[in-house]
Amino acid sequence: MSSIDSALKPRLRLRTPAEYAGWVLSILAGIGILVSVLTNPNFKWGTVAQYFTHESILRGLMLTIFLTLASMALGTLLGLGLAIMRSSQVKPVSIAANLYITLFRGTPVLVQLIFWFNISALYPNLTIGIPFTDIGTAIDMNALMAPITAALVGLTLNEAAYMAEIIRGGFSSVGKGQIEAADSLGMSAGTRMRKVIIPQAMPSIIPATGNQVIGMFKGTSLVSVLGVAELLQSAQLIYARTYETIPLLLVASLWYLVMTLLLSYPQSKLEQKYSRATSRLPRKAKKVVVLTEPEGTLR
Amino acid sequence: MSKDGTILAQKIRKSFGPKTVLKDINLDIASGEICCIIGPSGSGKSTILRCINGLETVDSGVLKVNGEDFGYYETPHAYHAHSPKKLAEQRTRVGMVFQSFNLFPNMTAQENVMSGPVLVKGADKKEAAKRAQELLTSVGLAGFGDYYPAQLSGGQQQRVAIARSLAMEPEIMLFDEPTSALDPEKVGEVLAVMKELAKKGMTMVVVTHEMGFAREVADSLIFMDDGYVVERGDAREVLSNPQEARTQAFLQQVL
Repeated sequence: MSSIDSALKPRLRLRTPAEYAGWVLSILAGIGILVSVLTNPNFKWGTVAQYFTHESILRGLMLTIFLTLASMALGTLLGLGLAIMRSSQVKPVSIAANLYITLFRGTPVLVQLIFWFNISALYPNLTIGIPFTDIGTAIDMNALMAPITAALVGLTLNEAAYMAEIIRGGFSSVGKGQIEAADSLGMSAGTRMRKVIIPQAMPSIIPATGNQVIGMFKGTSLVSVLGVAELLQSAQLIYARTYETIPLLLVASLWYLVMTLLLSYPQSKLEQKYSRATSRLPRKAKKVVVLTEPEGTLR
Repeated sequence: MSKDGTILAQKIRKSFGPKTVLKDINLDIASGEICCIIGPSGSGKSTILRCINGLETVDSGVLKVNGEDFGYYETPHAYHAHSPKKLAEQRTRVGMVFQSFNLFPNMTAQENVMSGPVLVKGADKKEAAKRAQELLTSVGLAGFGDYYPAQLSGGQQQRVAIARSLAMEPEIMLFDEPTSALDPEKVGEVLAVMKELAKKGMTMVVVTHEMGFAREVADSLIFMDDGYVVERGDAREVLSNPQEARTQAFLQQVL
């Protein structure tokens, strides 16, 4: 017979044999990999530790961070412009933006980077001036498109296409009623964008942008093909001399991992902050407004 | 401006694609008049309201709001669209209250009420805040200024929306089924605010299903069906003694 009151008995979950098997296999695999990583001398953990804070690795890391921030910032600005163009009522403008987005999202970023690096084959001179006049200066494209410039241009233009889609998605998440309310108050298109649409689009734009930053951070490794001494290229330059390929790739990987984890934290904080805008929780303490006018009087 | 607060519509036509929503609309609303528009859904009553505010453009006909051509200016051969700036200026003189409130969720109640004066008219923030508090008090929401729309009930949100429109000091207020999205017990508080407003001599055009409100407050009543004004006249007169068969049939269903 029951020893305790039936109403108070805990309800136990069903544990299947598959669940126990999952436990055992996962733990065995984990131990196996750990033992291998620690005992295989070819990992050369000593070398990894030695190069982890090596000067040229750190310089490469700085360049990677710079490329990420710069191309994200420029790409977001350009993307905002493209998003506004794409939602334009003027057909040719929206088609132009659409074409840009299709082109840059439809080709690999690696190909784009190599393309910009070799753009001087297409346009040897870049002329800045007033059309149909002699006023202006010509710049040698070969000199202009240094590897770092090509990297920045390539990453920025590609990122702009993705950001444009993210921002446009955010815009279209704002209800039609909001636009009508703004219009009926007589707001200009600019004010409507800044005060009504963008603040409300942010909750869907911010988390997606955070993901783009993390993606971009790892994506910068592609510019190593242009000979830009970012994190991966710095590691490659060292193992080209020392032949310690795996340890140096591990150094680079660990840095990518560390930075990605560091970036995920603010990303999740931002996500929380912006999801709160739609919740019913008060965002700031309620001030008590004391007014002496009797209720129900219109002035 | 002696003709402030008037609305004049002559032979208004409006189509959405193949569907003609307004077929031949003639209206003449005097300054300070309270006009209720009733009719079945799809009759075009919301559309005509939205035209008066410029949320929709009319295809043809004459539309004068506050005594001047709305959204367009007339030349011997055509009506030419106003610049966005001029259109916005005309819109500030016509307040609109929506069925779904459409408060800005990213702003507090007070910021919503301040949004027009500050963002459109460039008013001083301190004065706009003071005025916003007065307006919130007048709609029975003193002390609710720091609440976000999501923290307010539907009836409270709609009253904030009315205050937001009033902050622009319009000559005309348009209400597009202002109580249709509300819980039945919240309808009264919004209608009370509207009645209070009616006493102040504001021109009001109200699309509504609240026959009680129409009977009690409205000066004139318009019954619309299928893109036409079927019947118009004194509100109590039309409600108690409709002349047209279509009006009689409709009122029998709803009363």
